[in-house]
This record gives sequence, structure tokens and C-alpha cells, in this order.
Amino acid sequence: MAAVAMAAACGRLLLRGAAARPSRCFSSSGCRRSTDGETAKFQPPPKPVIIDKQRQREERRYLSPEFIPPRGRTDPLKFYIERKDMIQRRKVFNIPEFYVGSILAVTTADPYADGKTNRFVGICIQRGGKGLGATFVLRNVIEDQGVEICYELYSPRIQEIKVLKLEKRLDDNLMYLRDALPEYSTFDVNMKPESRLDHEEIPVNKLQVRMKPKPWSKRWERPKYNIKGIKFELPEKKMKAAQKWSQPWLEFDMLREYDTSKIEEKIWKEINEELKK
Amino acid sequence: MAGWALLARLGARLRAAGAAGHRGQLGLVARHGNDATWWHEHLSEENVQFLKKTTAEEYKAQTASKLCPLKDEPWPLNEWKPDSVRVGVVAVKLGMMPIWTKSGKKHAVTLLKVQDCHVLRYISKEESEGKTAKLIVGGKNVSPFFKSEAAMDIFKEAGVPRKQKVTAFNVTDDAIIKPGTPLYAAHFRPGQFVDVTAKTIGKGFQGVMKRWGFKGQPASHGQTKTHRRPGAISTNKAAKVYRGKKMPGKMGNVYRTSYGLKVWRINTKHDIIYVNGSVPGHTNCLVKVKDTKLPNYKDCNKNPPFPTFFADGDEKLPEDLYDEEVFQFTDPSVTYA
Repeated sequence: MAAVAMAAACGRLLLRGAAARPSRCFSSSGCRRSTDGETAKFQPPPKPVIIDKQRQREERRYLSPEFIPPRGRTDPLKFYIERKDMIQRRKVFNIPEFYVGSILAVTTADPYADGKTNRFVGICIQRGGKGLGATFVLRNVIEDQGVEICYELYSPRIQEIKVLKLEKRLDDNLMYLRDALPEYSTFDVNMKPESRLDHEEIPVNKLQVRMKPKPWSKRWERPKYNIKGIKFELPEKKMKAAQKWSQPWLEFDMLREYDTSKIEEKIWKEINEELKK
Repeated sequence: MAGWALLARLGARLRAAGAAGHRGQLGLVARHGNDATWWHEHLSEENVQFLKKTTAEEYKAQTASKLCPLKDEPWPLNEWKPDSVRVGVVAVKLGMMPIWTKSGKKHAVTLLKVQDCHVLRYISKEESEGKTAKLIVGGKNVSPFFKSEAAMDIFKEAGVPRKQKVTAFNVTDDAIIKPGTPLYAAHFRPGQFVDVTAKTIGKGFQGVMKRWGFKGQPASHGQTKTHRRPGAISTNKAAKVYRGKKMPGKMGNVYRTSYGLKVWRINTKHDIIYVNGSVPGHTNCLVKVKDTKLPNYKDCNKNPPFPTFFADGDEKLPEDLYDEEVFQFTDPSVTYA
């Protein structure tokens, strides 16, 4: 009964609102009109938003960057053959999803180590190479010594790749961590893996890193590196002088555009079909 | 067969007519320097489409007719002897890839795809005036419309489409093959060693530092306009420059061979040979692959498919053939005991 009355009240509210402003009326039962002082200021609860977790998981597609073929005159058959090998390796050995800025623990087979395995924990600072030769570089500071190891994703010596913390950073390439204060590259070797829900978006760590005093290995303030993750404490004059090397025409250069959306679609379908088998 | 032959005759007729020259207003003959026409210049659109369609069908029929060489009365098949030299193959260089061995070591391999390889002609020892018989082999299929009828004779005889690369292989008499037989990647086996010949990438006119690896001169400390020059080209006593003196000139675009390359893997479905190391030539160039002439690898090249691998024979090969040391991706990761 009460529900019906409320519904009737809502209906009257809406009609009045519609009558008052005949054009462009997006009246919802939530918005109040100045004339509706006498009617009950009833706002029904907001509609529950149903998140279909499975669909979200499917919608969020991640295609590893080494699958996307580089632009060139190579026969697509060569990439197809390479992709078959890559998928075959992925069926036997799990290569998780990770980005530059995630913290990984990698165990490799080492003939000269105790127990014949070697475990290294570090932050991924770079992902390079295409196809079977794809690599990623992990960096950590162990006993005040910075160590970087470049691993090949598809090498058979890798026993396990575990993602301890999955996150993205503001840049694609974190090579500037070599010139940053060591605290930003130190990670606990016995860190526990962070649990996260499947359907969440990958968190972007907007950390701005503080640098050691200059000289650096590269002039990171220059626009060609396009770094957003450094807190530059250089004087304004130096920052302005660095902008002299900017090339503002580069973003409009049409010959440099490489639209990979269609290629990615095809490869995504192919990989999914193969992995299901 | 009919399509491009008709066209070649048409072209010859037109060229004869055009070569007479056009008499201008003053009664003088204005000769055109270039009276070449392209194959469909004087054809209507429909005819062009028709010719393209017929040649495509013709090619398909020709390849299909050559698929069963063992049923087409092949020439006598002999046994392999350590002295016999067998045919090679013409392949397309696809690109390079890493490959891992079971011990975890990485090697770089080049992928060579054997695309539409057919034997075209047999030249006996007496005919060729050489020491051995020759077999002419052709590679990748291309369009027949840009060559004269005379040039297409060799393909007509063999009954195959026109090939982009045509090379000769020196072969012993017991390894001769009937013209028209297709050659496949399974002609080679993993563990074997091959030589690969191709034209190197052309670099144009290059100076002495890039072409011959000279050291040049220092960048500073008083050098006047001399940083990449050859310096002295001969001695005082010689009073001449010797023949073959290394000097600047055109570099690249020459045939060079890489010897002793190991075959790691063969893909029979796509006819791809995985060959160790690098191979001369750019991507998608045509290369000549044959068994090694190096004496150290004589043991590894024993008992190959002789005279070649016949696809319609009794042997049914799996899709991928690997060398014993190659790590196959179906296996679990490598561990050291």
C-alpha cells in the first residue's frame, strides 16, 4: 500500500517536472523541483549496480607485448610459426601477466648454485624484444649493491615466475631508477605475494621518485624520455633549457603511427583458441 | 601455357609495328628511344582479368600434376654412396629466431622456407663440359607476363610455373632427378650441415673503412682533412699499385656463402629449415642451400634422403623434426641434476 502511494507520489513528481519544463527534461525522481515543496521529499534508494565479475574478467584482456609483431617487411608466416612455439611454451609453463613496475620473483636453473636453483626478487624496469626472444629486466639493491638481471621470458632455464605485487607505474621504462636514491629500488627478498581480486583494475603507482645529485647516466629531464615519475628538483632554468631538445612535431608525424588494434584482435583470438585446446 | 604465349606473340607484333617510327609533319621519322610496353597496355580490362584468372588456374593445375613424382615414372633411384653429391634446394629467408638446447644454451637460427621448389632441367656431363652433371632448380613462383617466350621455354619443358630464382647444382650421375619433381624441406634432416649461398645486402659505394675495415686516422691532433682515408696505397720500391688493392668501391650485392651451418629443426608442414647462425641476404631473399663441402662434417651428412625426399613415398614424417639436442617446448623446464 505504502509502496503504491510512494509510486504514485513519484509519478506525480515526474509529471509535474515534465510539465514545468517541456523541453530537455532529464527529470529523475531524485532531483528536486522548487515548486515541489508540498510533496514528500522522497528519494528512492539508488539502483544497485550489478558487476558481472565473469564478464569483466573476460572484457579485461591482456595481450603480452611480445606477441605484437614489429612493423616491417617480414612475412607474417614467420610470426605465426614463432607464436605457435610461444603458445606451446605457455601451455607447459605459466607466464603471468605483469607490467613494468611490478615486483617479481624468478627462479632459474643454475648449474653452479646450491640446490641448482637461483631465486631473484626485483622490480621489472624494462620489457624488451619481440617473439621468442622477449626479455625483462629485474632490479634490486642487495647489501647496498644495485643488481639488475635480464631474463628471457621463454628460456627453458626459468623454473617459476611469481608476481609478488602487480602494479603499473607512470612510465614504460624505469631505467632512471639507476640514478634514483637506492631506497626506491630496494625490495625485501622474502616479500609475501600480494593477493588481489581478479576483476580489479591494475593499480597505477603515481610515485614520484627523488634522484641522486647529477650527473646521471642519461639526461632524464629531456623531453625525449618523457618521464613522469621523477620529482625533478632542478632549478627552473635547467628545466627550461632541457625543453630546447623537444620535438613537438613528432606526435603529428603520421608515418610513425602504428595502429596495432586490428592485429591485436586477431592475435588475441588465435591465442585464446590455442590455449583452450 | 596458352595465356602468356599468346601475349608474348601479341607483344612481338606490336613492337614490330611501333619500331617503324612515326612520320612527323616534316616527313622525318621520330624514333622513340623506349618502345617497350607493359603486358596489358594494349589489352582491355576484361582480357586482363581473364588472363590473370587462367594463369592462376594453370599454375594450380601444374603444381597439382607434379605432386606425385614417384607415380610419374621417375628416373632410376640409386643408393647413397659417400662420394655422391646430391641436389640442393632454393629457399626464401624468412627471418631469425632464438633456439635453446637441452643444456639451456641459446643459439640463433635462421628460418629458410622452401617455397615451390622444382627441378627444371638436367644437363649431362658431356653437354655441360664440366666435371659433373648439372641439375637446374627453380625457386618461388612469380608472374609469367614479364618475360619473353624464349625465356619461358625452360619452364614450359618442365611443366612448372615461372620461378623467380633459377640456379644450377653440380650433381653426381647417380643423384640425377627427372625435371618437374618438387623438392621439399625434408630433403634435409636435423643434425646435418649445409652451405647457404645468397646475394649480400647491397651497401652502394662505400669507403675503405666500411668496405675493408681499415683503421682510418685520428679525429684530432692536427689531422688535416684526413680521417677515413686509406693512407699509403703502395711502397716506393714497387713503383706501381698492385692489382686487387683494397680501395673504395661498390660494396655488397655479391654472392657469398656461409659454410658449415647446422640444421636444428625441419617443419614439414610449412617446409621450413631452421639453420644455425646467420645467412647472407636480406629478409625474403632467395637463397641456395646444399650439403656442406667441408670435410669435417662428412660423418654428419651420412645416409640422407637420396636422390631427394618424395612426399608421396612410403615415409610419413611428423610435422616437426628436431635435432636430439634441441629443447622442445612440449617438455618441462630444464633442470640440472
